[in-house]
Amino acid sequence: MRMRRFLLGIAVLALGIGLWCHVGLGAAENVAVINGYPTITADPATASDWYDTEAMYNLYSPLVYPTPEGSVRAHLATSWTPVGGDLKHWRFTLREGVKFHTGYEMTADDVAFSMTRFITMGRGNSGPLGKVTATVVDRYTVDFTLDKPSAIFPETLALFFPVEKSLVLANLKKPGNYGDLGDYGEEWLATHDAGTGPYKMTSHIPGQRLDAARFVDYFEGWPDEGWGADEVPIERLVFIMETDYTSLMTLLKSRGLDLEINGGWDLTQLRDIQNDSRFDLTYVWAQNVTVWMNSKAAPTDDEHFRKAILYAFDYEAIVGPWKPFGNGETGLLTPAMGGYVPIEPQPRAQNLEKARQELALSKYANNLKDVKVVFHFCGGLSFEEDVGLQLQADMAKLGVKVEVAGPQWPQFSAECSTPEATPNMTIFLFAPQAFPTHDYYLYSMFAKNGLGWIFEAHWFFEDPQIQTLLDATRAEPDAVKRLAIYEQLQPLIAAHALAFYPYQKPTLFVHQAYIAGPKVKIAFVGPSENMYNWRINMKLKEQALAK
Amino acid sequence: MAKYIGLRLAQSVFVLFGLSIIIFFIARVVPGDPARAALGFLATREQVEKMRVEMHLDKSFPEQYYYWLRNVLHGDLGTSVYTKQPVTADLRRYIPATLELILFATLISLVLGQVTGILAGYFRNSWFDGVSRLVSYLGIATPSFVIAILLIFIFSQIFRLAPSVGRIPIMMTAPPTVTGFMVLDGLIAGRPDVAWVALNHLILPAFSLAMIHIAQEGRITRTSIVENLDKDYITMHKVHGLRTSRIVFKYLLRPSIIPTVTVMGLDFAFLMSNAFMVELVFMWPGFARYAVTTMLNKDLNAMVAVVVVIGVTFALVNLLVDILIMWLDPTIRIQRRGGSA
Repeated sequence: MRMRRFLLGIAVLALGIGLWCHVGLGAAENVAVINGYPTITADPATASDWYDTEAMYNLYSPLVYPTPEGSVRAHLATSWTPVGGDLKHWRFTLREGVKFHTGYEMTADDVAFSMTRFITMGRGNSGPLGKVTATVVDRYTVDFTLDKPSAIFPETLALFFPVEKSLVLANLKKPGNYGDLGDYGEEWLATHDAGTGPYKMTSHIPGQRLDAARFVDYFEGWPDEGWGADEVPIERLVFIMETDYTSLMTLLKSRGLDLEINGGWDLTQLRDIQNDSRFDLTYVWAQNVTVWMNSKAAPTDDEHFRKAILYAFDYEAIVGPWKPFGNGETGLLTPAMGGYVPIEPQPRAQNLEKARQELALSKYANNLKDVKVVFHFCGGLSFEEDVGLQLQADMAKLGVKVEVAGPQWPQFSAECSTPEATPNMTIFLFAPQAFPTHDYYLYSMFAKNGLGWIFEAHWFFEDPQIQTLLDATRAEPDAVKRLAIYEQLQPLIAAHALAFYPYQKPTLFVHQAYIAGPKVKIAFVGPSENMYNWRINMKLKEQALAK
Repeated sequence: MAKYIGLRLAQSVFVLFGLSIIIFFIARVVPGDPARAALGFLATREQVEKMRVEMHLDKSFPEQYYYWLRNVLHGDLGTSVYTKQPVTADLRRYIPATLELILFATLISLVLGQVTGILAGYFRNSWFDGVSRLVSYLGIATPSFVIAILLIFIFSQIFRLAPSVGRIPIMMTAPPTVTGFMVLDGLIAGRPDVAWVALNHLILPAFSLAMIHIAQEGRITRTSIVENLDKDYITMHKVHGLRTSRIVFKYLLRPSIIPTVTVMGLDFAFLMSNAFMVELVFMWPGFARYAVTTMLNKDLNAMVAVVVVIGVTFALVNLLVDILIMWLDPTIRIQRRGGSA
């Protein structure tokens, strides 16, 4: 009897607690909760991967802004010109009246300081710029002197974000690596903002959450032109950084998540989202899924063997289910980029007969049973593993063994440090995260002076014609002529079969129906995630929350 | 007692010193390039080489350990290549989040484990004993993240009784950090609404972590209760007509709880590093998630700091458990003094 009374008491208490815990939705606020990949640092000089760039485009403004056509337009800089026709010496005229979030006006002094800081610290996105010296000419003019001539230098500044000099100098930590300049403000800027962007940071927990509020005095203003009647600027942003998509789906359906920009949903979730009228799907840029073939490791050291792989792979099997979501054929560039040249195999389908012909020409034709192709993917990425397993099955039809393994990222990336350590095949997804994107996908990935490491895990630099043409792209100031060189380069590089490209993988943005955007689609990481390019329909949001 | 505690603390320092050497070595031999991780994807080969020199990675292992130890003795655990923040700042942020969670989980497992264990033991072989046995087996066999997902599905999605994400609602402003415990900080800041909401957010993840320990501790307590129930002194109290509740809580519980306390201490320290899956499912920004992230990113400074923190936790918890057991069982106290019980 006492036991029953006791248990009844526990049950009543639990119910009471449960009722108190009832979760309800709050009133509609002008705020967007956005899930992206972890923003590690908010410092423009150390921001590196595309996750950080997404934050940079909200908190800061680059000197020049990418265009949908793949070029750049005026932004913080209104014009630029090589001084005396010398591609080592560039003069930039700055826009007047641009305010930092503190209210102070940006001048050439801030820009020169920012560039010096960027190059001196030598982190993040500064690598492709080389050595740059910045000099103040007058209040709104700054000169940049390079160590090597570069026709594309202005375009690389799409990833250069000036900071407020006085604010940074007021927050130096000493001692540091930079003498009197201490740590150059690195620790402070990692969690604070000194920018001119459309949003100003209100708090930042690295790798977890970044809060920002609309900067009303943003220099481009907040015109309503091109937006719907009830679409207003988003006042508050809350960037969360979660990677578990089951939890994110719960959040999305409960209206706790407004926009997801990382695109890690699986096929089942995407179909669910597509069929739900509460949500919209869109994509702006795609990652180029690239499988490098190491030209210095047997048997992929043989060009015919590599070509056999190109023809043996069943592209349709991998792409098929994802076609409704934009996955499709790609090459050295992605199809949306100007100057895209389709490469073999054409059509993009399995051709075992042609694969056999190529194998017969390879030096391993008579001992296929003795060769083994090692395919590595980054552990945990199932779609990369799927490519490896598909290749394994396809090559088995030709009597070639493929070993598929997925070491974790530290080991996987470390393997690509030398030709000897790199496996036969390594798969990567390259987002358009460096500008100009043509230079990124071609020069950085095929030039002897390219980025190396995971970007050039093919280790082939023996074709002098390709190297000459690649150098020519950086010396050609005319964008149209440069594009013609890029078009000439693609079939030449593809002829060596240094990689095969299973598909392009659009990064799908999933958002609530009351979130509108992006207004301008620019196939480059950053501008699409710039929330200036998005708005919120408060009427629709109120209706959605009332349901 | 003071001499005993001092001796144990001195032993712990040696243990931690040895642990730091082992993890320092392991962190540097596992594959991965920390210089590259620190710089980012677009770093040139020259920048990577320069960073290796800055990080002393070009030096021998003993030299690297010397630089690390010198900094640690000055309170500098280095900078995390992942968060770009001082490791001490990261630990200050993440440890309280996990501590709050596992303290709450431990409290739940202590209360519910003891209640079910006492009832099952006192009413042994009854229907309650049978049901609690079945539930215990399920609790022990089911991984905590599976329990977490089930709890979210039932209590958050279907019945909408409890929140399932984060420490407080995404749209709520966190109180100023004083202790790092959201409930306490909310009360300190004069915001009982935050404290109440933070408590709500603790329920599901704490239960997910506690389930296996409720099951475990319940069974251990049940066994102890059954063992002690037939002892002469209990029979004597029954014969003298003492109330059941007095017998249980005054005479039976204290000797029966000793094995549970030992297990509970180990569980607490274990949870510090193994709450990862639950923290992931509930988007809980805790130490366990941070620990796993540092390992996956080969964040050298953070890796070593994380392992040392876990070592310190084990050492301190074991010491606390020993002190508690000495208080619970006077015979152990006497034995330590060299007498006989």
